[in-house]
Amino acid sequence: MTDAIAISNAQLRFGETAALDGVSLTIPQGTCFGIVGESGSGKTTLMRAVLGLQKLDQGEIRILGKPLVHGRAALRERASFIQPIFQDPAASLSPRSRIRTLMNEVGTVLREPHAATHERLAVILGRLSLPPGVIDKYPHEISGGQARRVAIARALLMKPSILIADEPTAGLDVSVQGDLLNLLQDIRRSQNITLVVISHNLAIMRLIAENAVVMRAGNVIEGGEVGSLFGSPQEVYTRDLLAAWPSIRAVNTKG
Amino acid sequence: MAISLRDLSVDYSLQQGTAHALRGVSLDIKKGEMLGLVGESGSGKSTVAFALMGLLANNARVTLGTATIDGKNFDLTKRNATAALRGRGMAMIFQDPMLSLNPVFTIGTQLGEVLRRRAPGSDRKTRVAMAEDALAKVKLSNPARRMNQYPHELSGGMRQRVVIAMALLSEPALLIADEPTTALDVTVEAQIMREIIGLRDRVGCAVLLITHSLGLVTEYCDAISVLYAGEKLESGTVKAVQRQPGHPYTRMLFDCEVPIDRERHADASQNSFTVISGDLPDPRRRPPGCIFNGRCDVSFAECAVVNPGDYPVGDDAGHSARCLRLATP
Repeated sequence: MTDAIAISNAQLRFGETAALDGVSLTIPQGTCFGIVGESGSGKTTLMRAVLGLQKLDQGEIRILGKPLVHGRAALRERASFIQPIFQDPAASLSPRSRIRTLMNEVGTVLREPHAATHERLAVILGRLSLPPGVIDKYPHEISGGQARRVAIARALLMKPSILIADEPTAGLDVSVQGDLLNLLQDIRRSQNITLVVISHNLAIMRLIAENAVVMRAGNVIEGGEVGSLFGSPQEVYTRDLLAAWPSIRAVNTKG
Repeated sequence: MAISLRDLSVDYSLQQGTAHALRGVSLDIKKGEMLGLVGESGSGKSTVAFALMGLLANNARVTLGTATIDGKNFDLTKRNATAALRGRGMAMIFQDPMLSLNPVFTIGTQLGEVLRRRAPGSDRKTRVAMAEDALAKVKLSNPARRMNQYPHELSGGMRQRVVIAMALLSEPALLIADEPTTALDVTVEAQIMREIIGLRDRVGCAVLLITHSLGLVTEYCDAISVLYAGEKLESGTVKAVQRQPGHPYTRMLFDCEVPIDRERHADASQNSFTVISGDLPDPRRRPPGCIFNGRCDVSFAECAVVNPGDYPVGDDAGHSARCLRLATP
């Protein structure tokens, strides 16, 4: 089976800084792939390159076997099978249009009657515990957590085969976070979607991803099957990341 | 007791009616201790901070509440009740450090301003030295150079350090940190929390840490208070509450946390996450009985009628929760 995403030797410099310094990785179809690393390590730049929003200086990206082509037509075609959930939900919501307008656009792109789109939307909103009335609001009228879920609902509405989520749970309450992750897990099981999750939440990454890579300064410094990657990390940096995780320490029931 | 807050109640007037954001919330923080105030979004935890600082929005009104800070009493229902304490007795660290830093002034100018209020009459040279010293204390590299830089030239973690240095200079009796590390990486988060603890130990102030991360609270705090829909449901030492949560909501919150060493299903798509089903009650119309009744997994008939009082939990002094199951018949 062709890989969902194959990146070989991706290089990109912003002035003096190497944002991507020869990144190579392959993401098999139908799996969840994690990209871990702190800000400035190149995670988001890599995501933007895969979406075709950022040209590489060197290297190649293949999506479902086909080389990534730049240009409006190619970008539009890609939208039907690869969808992003941006870190900043405001980036995917226009401040000047109601959420309904945004969702209707999905129907237009998919050439689907609005009634059918809204039928699917109702199910997705329910799963994300968003009130149905949310679609008549403007982005500034909803809370940050709601905006994030709206952005996720929009991405899911496109029925993509690859979903790339940049910090999908940052800033969400534990309970809402659980809801969202269960939904993503559900979608993976029922629709055989490829999920790429960029996050520094290692605890969650361990549980949802099959494979993951750790990035630092534009490089993949370590990668592999999640169980062994987090179970016995080889790199000092990966161990530091794991050690920095605030954990609920087990309490001594007698003391 | 350095800080105590009594019966804080805050209303927001909205187009659709009056929302009761806080109902009779009381907190106590000992000098030199850190209290973690946890709750979901919409629980009113930031409103507590804003009411104390006098930063509430125009449509908010404190209907009841008094605070004792550093031995002085304040009636919070009065506008600007704590104005005298801002920059001297109280300091606040926001989630977004850019909220506290002015983009058009250098770091040095802004730290100098704190000192003009804190140490009036001091000459400029002394103030610069004090500011540089504070930047060095929060482990910001190259303090002398930072003094002449603007906030946009610094990373998020560095800006947060500048804000902590600012708080350090004002030597507060109460430091409020509202989600101070939410916008930062885990490794930076640990460093920033260490700086906050360093500040607390140096100044000997009380710290109110507002967060939704129980991981942070159990790692760094001495005591915990759990807020839900504007009401305090449980409080006690972190150890006691973690060992024996008195309120079902606290227990459910702890269950939702994902430990880094949780058992992992070999097929990753089979791993599922714990949630608290249901939604927050409408803040305009409080349902009768226990506020958590609608989402509770162990509620009984009486819970829908009787609003529970604050009952002691276990034998740990100061550990109490508002759950009817704790009431001794």
